[in-house]
Amino acid sequence: MLIILQLILFIVAAPFLSGLISKVKNNIRMRKGQSVLQPYYNLAKLFLKREVVSETASWIFKATPFVVLAAMLVAAVLIPVFILRSPLNHAGDFLALIFIFSLGRFFLVLSALDTGSSFGGMGGSREMFISSLLEPALCMAVFAVSLQFGSTDILAFSGMHAISVSSVVAALTLFLVAIAETSRIPVDNQETHLELTMIHEAMVLEYSGRSLALIELSSHIKQMILFFLIAQIIFPIGLPACLVGGSFCTSFMQIFLWVLWYLLRIIIIAIAVALVEISVAKMRLFRAADFLGLAFVLGVIASVCAILGV
Amino acid sequence: MVCSEIIAGIKNIFGTFEALSVTQAYTDEIHIKVSPGLFKDTCLALHKMLSSSVYMLFASDERRARGIFTINCVFGNLKQGQWIIISIDIPQDEAYFDSLAKTIYSASLFEREIWEMFGIQPKGSPDLRRLRLHNEVWPKGNYPLRKDFQKLQAGDLGDYEFDRVEGDGVFEVPVGPVHAGIIGPGHFRFSVAGEPIINLETRLGFTHRGVEKLFEGQSCIEAIRLAECVSGDASFAHSLAFTQAAEKISGIFIPKQAVYLRAIFLELERMYNHVNDIGGMAVDVGFSFPSAYASVIKEALLKLNDLLTASRYLKKVNTVGGVLKSLDENKKQILLDSLKRIENDFNELVKILYSSVSFMDRIDTTGALRRKTAEGLGVVGLIARASGIPADLREYFSTIYKEARFKIATEESGDVLARLKLRIAEFKESIRLIEVFVGKLADDKEINVNPEFKEGRALGYVEGWRGPVLYWMEIDTAGLIQRCKVVDPSFLNWQGLSYAVLGNIIPDFPLCNKSFDLSYSGGDL
Repeated sequence: MLIILQLILFIVAAPFLSGLISKVKNNIRMRKGQSVLQPYYNLAKLFLKREVVSETASWIFKATPFVVLAAMLVAAVLIPVFILRSPLNHAGDFLALIFIFSLGRFFLVLSALDTGSSFGGMGGSREMFISSLLEPALCMAVFAVSLQFGSTDILAFSGMHAISVSSVVAALTLFLVAIAETSRIPVDNQETHLELTMIHEAMVLEYSGRSLALIELSSHIKQMILFFLIAQIIFPIGLPACLVGGSFCTSFMQIFLWVLWYLLRIIIIAIAVALVEISVAKMRLFRAADFLGLAFVLGVIASVCAILGV
Repeated sequence: MVCSEIIAGIKNIFGTFEALSVTQAYTDEIHIKVSPGLFKDTCLALHKMLSSSVYMLFASDERRARGIFTINCVFGNLKQGQWIIISIDIPQDEAYFDSLAKTIYSASLFEREIWEMFGIQPKGSPDLRRLRLHNEVWPKGNYPLRKDFQKLQAGDLGDYEFDRVEGDGVFEVPVGPVHAGIIGPGHFRFSVAGEPIINLETRLGFTHRGVEKLFEGQSCIEAIRLAECVSGDASFAHSLAFTQAAEKISGIFIPKQAVYLRAIFLELERMYNHVNDIGGMAVDVGFSFPSAYASVIKEALLKLNDLLTASRYLKKVNTVGGVLKSLDENKKQILLDSLKRIENDFNELVKILYSSVSFMDRIDTTGALRRKTAEGLGVVGLIARASGIPADLREYFSTIYKEARFKIATEESGDVLARLKLRIAEFKESIRLIEVFVGKLADDKEINVNPEFKEGRALGYVEGWRGPVLYWMEIDTAGLIQRCKVVDPSFLNWQGLSYAVLGNIIPDFPLCNKSFDLSYSGGDL
């Protein structure tokens, strides 16, 4: 029951975060900006539109949106949000989560190459370049958390109850990784119209209609998963007793406040991302190596701190 | 330099030189007529003597009156405020001339233009591909700028041949002419090895409207509106170059008041475009806050234009014989007050940009055009000054700018940072100049004189915000335009962009492009 609730939460709430980030950015730029609900409108519009598929595209092109969305949905049920023990708990640990992300990316790159357009190839090669630097940093951040918990079990994220030096540094690492993963400034730029500078957008340039909606939705979900993980490390709160053990909650008010705080943390992370986006320029493509190199080093520091027990 | 000095100079380099006629047509123009056989050597000698690139090279169809085509080549003797124009007559049944392109590269685009528009062949030219009349839609044998061209004749179509770079791991990335943003159409073909660009070929001409043909047969007064539309963001510079040519031919002296007003409007146009470009550079590196700030400043300037002239883009301000809009005491005060506010905002914008490490890192050393390359290509205007070439028509040709102690701004490095710094410096200098000029405005009510047109030919020129805007005009006895050759700085500077991006990575191209900010319509005509 709760697992379904968790799945629905991710599907329903994820686009809101993107809308919020864009709203915050626009307000800082002295603009009114689009409504925070705009990503929902976009999805609705795309679902209703007819699709245009290149003649040279193979089955990979058509299958990719489903593979990518499926991967993100599996990732969304794998992590402990409302329930401690996911039904899929034995199916994988932290590393599985990283691989599931990679699966989605792998198919996106394949589909980008599939249509044979010059931008797809360009975007694909850039995405692989970024991901080869990004994955080690993500691994290190995850190891730091695992080391504190004593296992690579995904429960580590909800098992944290206090902030330590290690978890702060690990959260910072994850933050940098999340910026790159969600194709935001300074690594990529979601808003740009300049096809030559795109990374993620260049890969999905050939998609339209329902397929594009699915891909966009999975990007929103991926973003929310990452933000959730960061929130869980930097603002650790456990699950209320009622959800864990089955004992009754003291009051509805308590559970309401808990849910509020649970979600507010994610919004705080989203606003932090918006502030980063507005205050720096996009880096040169090859500087992304420095940026993600820094993330990796921070991840190593977090792991060392975890071993030292600070 | 007077005529005799120039002749002596040419003879020094090219001994057997013999001119058919040498005339000082106006104080700033010397016309030299030579026989077709001497054309190439004379041009080479002048090129060497003045170290000037070819500013203009164009043909003119005079078959109806005299049974000939003429070819004119314009060199600038900037330091002395002079233009030197070499011209030859070629008989209509021997429509060719000796190509300059192999020695003077800046002539190459002009020669391609003459070949496609007039069917006059530059003999020995290495590249005769069409610029604007794309082979895919324009059949062979159509030369639209010939006077007897009526309508498109059917004929063979062809394809365009791009320069090919081949080798292991070299890919071609074609982009455009339709782009994702709201910008002009241009086709860019990159040859890349990984991300670095090893060759860029630009194919333009998609906004070719036949402007030069449209000018023909119009009266000077109605053609001003056309000049304003050649490049929409430089409408004042174009109308000014046009009216100056018309005034020079007819010997009209405009009131002093109008001279100052024109300078004020010209600087206002420079300001709104420079701040727009600065914002554009920020947006191309995803730095959105300063770009929003820059657009606020640009809007303030456009509103100011609107308030002063009832046109945001300074249209319908110029006329032959002066200007149509004056500034009364009230407007002068508004102008000065607004400039103070705009200057404060602008300084704030510059501070934000300079203090952002991520922004400076992106623009420093990106898209460098070295001085030697810039000189070889004949790049003009702001792009040339950013590469260290001190060429600004305001410094050399204008007395009122001299009075105001105008100083040329130049930079050495030729990269995006240099072009940014130059725009900032010129923006600030424009504010100072406007303040000086407003102080010089008298209470004099006369801002234009009634023009009387005469027959003749002359060159009109203005340093617009991109660079020199040049208009060559030929007016007949009825006061109608026979030939109007327009050269927007974009035409020559597109070449500069192709070289500036070499060795840079593809994602940096939009930034380099924005730092040049060239006009599609100005180049395509």
